[in-house]
This record gives sequence, C-alpha cells and structure tokens, in this order.
Amino acid sequence: MYLSDLKIGQKAIVLQASISLPVKLYEMGCMPGEEIELNYAAPFSGPMCFLVQGTLISMRKELAQLVPITEPNVKSLTNG
Amino acid sequence: MVDKKALRVALVGRPNTGKSSLFNRLTGLSQKVGNYPGVTMEKRTGLIKLAPGVLAEIIDLPGIYSLHPSSPDEQVVMDSFLNENVDEKIDVVIGLADGTNLKTCLFVFTQIIDLGIPAVLAVTMSDEMERKGMELDVLGLSESLGVPITLVNGRLGHGIKELQDNILTASVSQNIPFFQPGGLHLEWINKVSEDKNFDMPYKSWLFGLRGSEYEELISSTGKTIARARADEAIKRYRRVNEWLREFFVTHPGKDRRWTARLDRWAVNPFWGSIILLILMFLLFQALFFGSEAPMNFIDDQFAQLSNILKSNLPNGFLSHLITNGIIPGIAGVLIFIPQIAILFGLISLLEESGYMSRVVFIMDRFMRPFGLSGKSVVPMVSGTACAIPAIMSTRNMENSREKWLSIAVAPLITCAARLPVYALLISLVIPDQTFFGLSLRGLVLFSLYMIGFFAALIGSAALNKIMPEAQSNPFLLEMPSYRFPQLRNVGHAIINRTKSFVTEAGKIILAISVVLWFFASFGPGKTPDFTQDYEAIPIEDSYVGKMGKAIEPVMKPLGFDWKVSIAVLSSFVAREVFVGTMATLYSVDDNEKSSIREQMAKQKDPETGEPYFNLAVGVSLLLFYAFAMQCMSTYAVVARETRSHKFAAIQFLILGILAYGASFLSYSILA
Repeated sequence: MYLSDLKIGQKAIVLQASISLPVKLYEMGCMPGEEIELNYAAPFSGPMCFLVQGTLISMRKELAQLVPITEPNVKSLTNG
Repeated sequence: MVDKKALRVALVGRPNTGKSSLFNRLTGLSQKVGNYPGVTMEKRTGLIKLAPGVLAEIIDLPGIYSLHPSSPDEQVVMDSFLNENVDEKIDVVIGLADGTNLKTCLFVFTQIIDLGIPAVLAVTMSDEMERKGMELDVLGLSESLGVPITLVNGRLGHGIKELQDNILTASVSQNIPFFQPGGLHLEWINKVSEDKNFDMPYKSWLFGLRGSEYEELISSTGKTIARARADEAIKRYRRVNEWLREFFVTHPGKDRRWTARLDRWAVNPFWGSIILLILMFLLFQALFFGSEAPMNFIDDQFAQLSNILKSNLPNGFLSHLITNGIIPGIAGVLIFIPQIAILFGLISLLEESGYMSRVVFIMDRFMRPFGLSGKSVVPMVSGTACAIPAIMSTRNMENSREKWLSIAVAPLITCAARLPVYALLISLVIPDQTFFGLSLRGLVLFSLYMIGFFAALIGSAALNKIMPEAQSNPFLLEMPSYRFPQLRNVGHAIINRTKSFVTEAGKIILAISVVLWFFASFGPGKTPDFTQDYEAIPIEDSYVGKMGKAIEPVMKPLGFDWKVSIAVLSSFVAREVFVGTMATLYSVDDNEKSSIREQMAKQKDPETGEPYFNLAVGVSLLLFYAFAMQCMSTYAVVARETRSHKFAAIQFLILGILAYGASFLSYSILA
C-alpha cells in the first residue's frame, strides 16, 4: 500500500521505499517507521495533507503514490 | 561608524517558527533590506548594540528544513555557512525552534551546531506551549545540546534580554558531533577537508554532498548522495526523539485542536473554495477601492505643488523641468504607495496567519497545468488593480520558476489603468445596444478582462513548456498551525516593501519620466517659448510627434493613423495618458472630458470620408492595449524584481509583438 491509498483519518506506518524518494521528505520528518495520518485532501486528485511527527505536510498525489506504508491502523514497527 | 567589526549573528530555523517576529524584536527600525549576491532573494539585516561597545549585525536567513539545500532559499543558507570569506563569516547562530513543534526544529538546529559554530537556541511560542500544557526541561535539553536555551516570546518581547546576553557568551558546543558519518565515508570526507581546508568534518560532509564534484568518490562507498542524506536524517531524528522523550512532556491532540477545527472549513473542497473566493474578492476590493482616495490625494497634492512652483519660479527651462518633468515623475512613483502598502499588508496577514499555505494547497491542482503554483493567485488577483504591486508580490514565492512565470505574464492581466482607455474606445465604437438582455458594451469590457486573464494563463503554460527543466523541486509544503497575525510584523512588511519600491524601482520610473517629458516638450530644432506666457510647441512637432509620424507606416496595417500612433507612444508613461493625449491632439479643452469622445467621433477617414474610429480601428486599439506592456512603471518593477533589464526588455518586446499581431489580425478581418 501507498500513502495515496489512505482514507481521511486513517493512520499507517511509513515503510522503507525501494526507490529513491526526495530527501526533503525525510528531512521534513516523513521517514520509515513513523506513524502517518491523512488529514485532508484537495479535490480532483489535488494535493494530500498528512500529519507526521507532529507536522502537517502537503504533497501532490504523484509523490504520495510512491511512499510505501503498512496496512492502515496496523501498529507494526518496521524500521528500515 | 567605528572601526570595530560588528559581530555577525544569523537567525536560522524552519519557516513558521516566529523568526521574523524575533528579528523585528531584536532589530526594531534599524533593519535594512538588501539582496544576496546573484539571486533575487531578499536579505534582511539590522545593526544593533548588544552591550556597551559591542555591535552586532543580525542577519535574518531564509527559513530552511535542512542545511542540505532542496530550494534556492536553502542554497543561500548553506552558502553563507560554507563561505570562507572572513568578512562574511557568521560568528554566532541563533537557532529558532517553535516550542510546539520542537522535533523538526531541533533536527535543523543539530545540523547547525555540528558545523562547529557558536550557537544559542531560542525556543519560541512559549506562551502557546504553556496553554497547550507542554513542559520542556530547558536545563536538561540545554545540557544535552551543549548550548544555552532561551524561552522567547516575540509577541510580548519576553526573553529578548536574556537571549542577547547569551549571544555575547555563546561558544561552540562541547557535545558535538550529534551526527557522525559512518566509517565508509571517512575517505572522501578527509579529501574534502584537505581540499577545502575545512576544520569540521560535518562541513566537508555538507560540501561533498551538495553537488557532483565528489560524486564519484561518494558513490564508491556504495551509497548515493540521496541515500547518504536520508541516513543522516534518520540518525538525527533518532537522536532528537531520545531527547524529547527525556525532556519534553506533551499531550498529543490537544496542540492542534484549533488548527484542525479551522481546517475543517478552510480546506474543505466546497467551503474552502468559497472562503478563498471571498477573501480574494475582498483583496481585490481593498486594492481597487481602498487605494482610490489616497491616490487622488497624492495626485492633487502634487498638482498643487506644481502650480505653486509654476507661479513662483522664474520662467525658464529649469522651472519647466521641475514643474512638468520632475514633480509629475515623483508623483508617478508615490502614486503606487497606497496599493503597495495595502497589498503587502494583506499578504503579510495571509502569511502570518498560516492561511497562505492553504491557498497554495487548494489552488495547486488548478494552477499546475500552467506551470504556476497556488501562490500565483495573489499576483493574478492583484494584477486586476495594477501590475506593479502584482509583480512585487512575487517576492513571497519561494519557487523561482513560478516566480519568473508570474512576473512574465502579470502585465497581461487587465489593470485599472486600462479602464479609461477601454471606456473611451468602447463608447466610441460599440453601439449602445443590448444582447440577450445584457449591455453589449458591458460584454465587450468583460471579454477584454477575460482575454487578459486567459492570455496570462496560456502565456504561462507556453513559457513553462519552453523553459528548460529546472532541478526537480518536489512540492512539499508544511501547513503551519493557525496563528493570530502580529501587527508589528505586518507593519514591518509594509514599510520594507514600500521603502524598497520607492528607492529602487522609483529611481527608474523617475528617470524615464524625465526623458519622456523631454521628448514631449521639445522637438527637432524646436524649443518651447519659456518667456512670460509659456507656450508649448504643438505635440506633432515634438520628438514624440515626429516619432509617431515616423512609425505611421508600421502602424498603418493596424489601422492607426499618426495621431493614434502618437497617443500610443506617449501612453508609455501610463496607459491612461492615451485619453489626455487624444484630447491634446484634437485640441479639446481639458475641462470638457465628454467632448473628447465627440471630437473623436467626428474624425473622418481622409480616403473614404467615413468616420475614422470605426469598429475595426476601435477593436484593433482595444486589443493593442490589452496585450502591450504600455507602462514604464511595469518595466521598472520587472527590471528591479528580476535584477535584469534584459528580462524586462525582452518581455516588453514579446508583449509588443503579441499586441501588434492581435491588432493586425483583428483589423485585417474587420476592415
């Protein structure tokens, strides 16, 4: 599953990606092992806004489609 | 100024951490706005006295998420730390951390102290922390970081004195490094340290990972640059999380309650759009109507001043230059102040409150196809009042690509100065009829607004296609918590922007207007009579008049005769000057504005004997004014904001060609 599959209010854990993601994502706090929640999304496949490490981060759907996550609401720690 | 060198103190932290509040508190009115060399980014500094005999230059560096640059803002910050120039070396860093969002802020701060620079930490929003029941063991965290921590409140000014004392005694943390690159990286790090003479390994790490110079060596470790940076982020966050577990007590959920409540409306797909629409409408109204009275006031005052001087100064060239060239020129600069002040006050409110990020969020999907971001909405909306504040508002955009695109197309948006021209021409050539119950004239005016708007969007999309692909800058946007805007910061934003407009773009506007005054008042071999009763030379004998006649053959395919050509040329001062020039050319008394239209309606085409201003000429002129960058102030502001007269000149040329093409096409079809 990927971040883009989350429904509003669902939580999941970020997994290690096999491809290279923008490092800024890590530096803003969205990194493997962290709990992440979809807070809201803009209409027409616009940006999505996630709560991770106490920060609200918006990203476009194209990027959210690349960030792997666990099944929603499963609290498993898979630190990469 | 004394010889003693001022201590260079830099403010560094994530965006939205209350950095500008603290900067404004520290520097007050001593701040200066300059530029970083080579980039269009603003540099704010302020010289203050820290203690008797100790001067400090406070530098407000752009907000960053990491010392590794992902944006031009972050590039500037990294460059100022890797700078080996002794005069520009940063002596002390004030790290900023939003107390309600310590984790991500400490991430950046540990990077900075790993550079081996004397540092202090200022934890902001202490009042909010208290309200939200957060508790920080300041002493414990301070010991772990190895630097002093001050709780500050920019709003009330609490903790400023203590912070200043800490700056004086700041030293390099003895606990660093907080991040130690693994053994496999040591080889290339040592190489960088040797090449560059860096004292701290982290400096070499930062330098090596910034570009291609050491890429080969780095990849021999089996890690890519991106991987190495990601490793650093993971290790640093692990460290920060350990500290926070030990020294910080928080009650999750409680701290975001207000933001979540407001966001339920602000980013709702339906209500969010409505709220945005209303706010943008109010912005337009404030800009359009709020500036009217002060603009008229400035206009009247300067006209009066000019008259007083006219009657008191001895007749002659100099007094004519002052009263007809320089004073109107200065008035032409100051006239923009009300709009600039209103717009930047409002933008600053939007930014300060945290709502601007929501604007970007909501609009991204719609602006993206045109290469623009949600932030481009502000210049687009302000452009309907005037291109000057619109172009200046792009200063608040971080992504330089979107900034350049917005500046390039902003002059196409129908501004207020086009209205008098449109009104005159429409009433002249469009019959006063209704079309499906709607006024035909109103519809034409509306169409002209739409043409401007769509031309801007299409132009931006086209430029976006042509422009070389910049380094991929991922759309990652932090949505800050909502905060009550601080009037002090709004005030500083207004003062700084207005000041920089008057002193920088203002110079160019004044210079051009004096040149244009000369071209309009003098002619080849003709000098106006400066004796007792000043008599101007007929406009057709002036340089402008000669030029208008000279370009008549070029303008003929658009349906413009020499009089219209002169009016088009002279309205480079400002578009509405078209009306006045027409009045002069047809010798209409200034006081009878309505008769300009009648005079123009009476003009006959010398060849056909039909009225000259027919539909074809009218539409051609309307389209010309819709596209052409007929405004020296726009030119001046573009040159200033892009730091490039070349950019402004090319833009002027392209929009001119576009205008010519549109007029030519319409005239060929309609004539």
